[in-house]
Amino acid sequence: MAVALLLAVAGLTACTDAAPSEKEAAKPAASASSSAGAPAPPSCDARASWRPTKGLQIPAGSYMQTIRDRGRLIVGMSQDTLLFSSRDPFTAKIEGFDVDMGREIAKAIFGDPDRLEIRVIPRSERINAVNRGTVDLAINTMTTNCTRWQQVDFSTVYYEAGQRLLVGKDSPATRIEDLGGQRVCAAAGSTSLENIGRVNVDPPPLAVARTDFGACLVAFQLGEVQAISTDDTILAGLAAQDPYAKVVGPRFTEEPYAMAIAGTHRDFTEFVNAVLERMRADGTWAKIHDRWLGDSGPAPKPPAARYR
Amino acid sequence: MTAVQAPPRAALTRLAGMRHTSPGRLQLLLVVLLVLTTLAGLVTGLTAASAAAGTTDLRDRAQPLLAEAETVWSSLADADATAAQAFISGGLEPPELTSRYDEKLTAAATALTSAARRVPEDSAGAEAIRAISAGLGDYTALVATARALNRQGKPVGAAYLSTASQLNRGTLQPQAQALFQQARREASAGYTDARSSWWLILLLVVLVGLGVALIATQAHLSRTTRRTFNVPLVAATALTVLLALVCAGLFAHQRSGLESAERAGSTPAQALAETRMLVLRERADEALTLAARAGRGALEDDFTLLRKRFVVSGEEFDEVRGLATTAAERHDAYLALHDEIRKLDDNGDYEAAVKLAVSPETRSAFDGVTTVLDEALTGRRAAFDDEIRSAGLGLGALAVLGPLLALMIGVLAALGLRARLEEYR
Repeated sequence: MAVALLLAVAGLTACTDAAPSEKEAAKPAASASSSAGAPAPPSCDARASWRPTKGLQIPAGSYMQTIRDRGRLIVGMSQDTLLFSSRDPFTAKIEGFDVDMGREIAKAIFGDPDRLEIRVIPRSERINAVNRGTVDLAINTMTTNCTRWQQVDFSTVYYEAGQRLLVGKDSPATRIEDLGGQRVCAAAGSTSLENIGRVNVDPPPLAVARTDFGACLVAFQLGEVQAISTDDTILAGLAAQDPYAKVVGPRFTEEPYAMAIAGTHRDFTEFVNAVLERMRADGTWAKIHDRWLGDSGPAPKPPAARYR
Repeated sequence: MTAVQAPPRAALTRLAGMRHTSPGRLQLLLVVLLVLTTLAGLVTGLTAASAAAGTTDLRDRAQPLLAEAETVWSSLADADATAAQAFISGGLEPPELTSRYDEKLTAAATALTSAARRVPEDSAGAEAIRAISAGLGDYTALVATARALNRQGKPVGAAYLSTASQLNRGTLQPQAQALFQQARREASAGYTDARSSWWLILLLVVLVGLGVALIATQAHLSRTTRRTFNVPLVAATALTVLLALVCAGLFAHQRSGLESAERAGSTPAQALAETRMLVLRERADEALTLAARAGRGALEDDFTLLRKRFVVSGEEFDEVRGLATTAAERHDAYLALHDEIRKLDDNGDYEAAVKLAVSPETRSAFDGVTTVLDEALTGRRAAFDDEIRSAGLGLGALAVLGPLLALMIGVLAALGLRARLEEYR
């Protein structure tokens, strides 16, 4: 119990820029409880990325050339986020919306979408992995926000998600505010974990951190937590694996997904944005959406690119 | 009675008075001889009993406990490695891996039950056994759930497996290691108990004292009487020498048996068990690194440490030189394959790395190492059994016959002196 609380507090960096709805942003308790000297929330337009200047060209000396010389694109992903990047138990291959995004980038560099190496990284390690150069970029249902922009660069937004709640089939809870004092799981290093701590209810829900959302589902099924709260997209994948779980409540945050790239590789960020431009325009984005998320209805308009 | 009740000074005066008369001197000698024979009988019996009990405890409890603790630990590591390999293979897990996993869990559970009978209820060892037993149930349930989910094609099965693996490596194996170390301390204390060195020193002092007293008595008698030899006392002296020789022979044999059991049995067996543990952990690290799919990480660093610790050239392997050399050669062959696996994975060919890691080639290379270590280990355990059985020979008989011999010495001494005392009536 004490450990869970510690983890919960550790997860509460004073970051209120993930565009949570107004009432959470207005709540002072969250920043008060994180006395670890976190900086004041930076303000920026987290959705705005670098405008492509050279299109899909790969100039000599660019980071894309480095990747091309290596012979493969290395992407940091998860292996248990169903529909986005999860391991198919039958084939042992990692597949999903995020994987297909990575394949499109590999195709733009090599002309071959299979020139892709997937490295599984814990959510709490994504920024480190990008900055250390362990991976070229992280495509991992990752929310772009201003705190993170201080450490890495992001591409333009490629998917709009929002945080919701997964509870047991017979739970009376309909929103996260109904779970005051109860244990709610999210992955360590995710914005979801931070958001659970900011829910404006007394007592607040106890945020329980696990390595990834698959581990959260294990904890939920073993009765160690009463609920899981994260992006609706991830919850849909979890609920699909457990007929005794249901996703409830409104989206109480906005989670715009973007790809994380080291700040030193601005040319690569521009290139990735150019690839995303093309995918939005030529229908590739819609095709990938239909392939993985088609059950949730017809493909919406892809999120519009914003540039700084 | 009066001597006991009298004040110490009066008793001393009376004893001093006895020294001055001939019958008094003889009575004193008789008392000294009877006290010494009683002590000799007592100490011979207790020393033999202590050495016998120590040897039996070493043979029937401490050493089997060590073997069982090792089985628990290595089976857990093996089950973890096997489950991870089955996972990375993808699809339905290969039946040979399923049966290997089941076999290892059964071995761990059996050894645990048996080890529980060999440790005191409130010891640290018992605590570890209870913790492992409780955790083993959870572990088995998590792996079973992971398998069932895997069969249904649900990716969360992977999360169950990694939760199980964390339980195994983070909780169960450290407990098993604690049990193993506890057993190792008990085995080493068992050797000290079996040697019963303090008892032996006491026995030596008492027997020498008895011999000196008998010879001094006879010297006194031949000086004060016309008879050169007192036949019962000569017989008592001969029996004392016999008792000393029997004790010397039996305890020397026991000590040499213990020494061989340690040199040819315990020491190499322990070194072999630890080496096998290293190899199993290497294989688990390799499979878990691939299962995590995160490239070279902490587990590969652990592998690098473990491979450096694989050294079978020390003197503790002298008894199994041939097999140890074979094990080292096979281990090198396995390491070559491991390096190949890492190279494939590091260069981005994850699927080829997995394919090589679970290939019959790698599996047989790895099994080659554990098989030869197992063979050597079985041989060393048998050697221990032989030596320790031989070390315990005769000690039980000595515990009974030693006091009987001492009784006979006492009776003969009393007979020899009583004949002389009669002369003063």
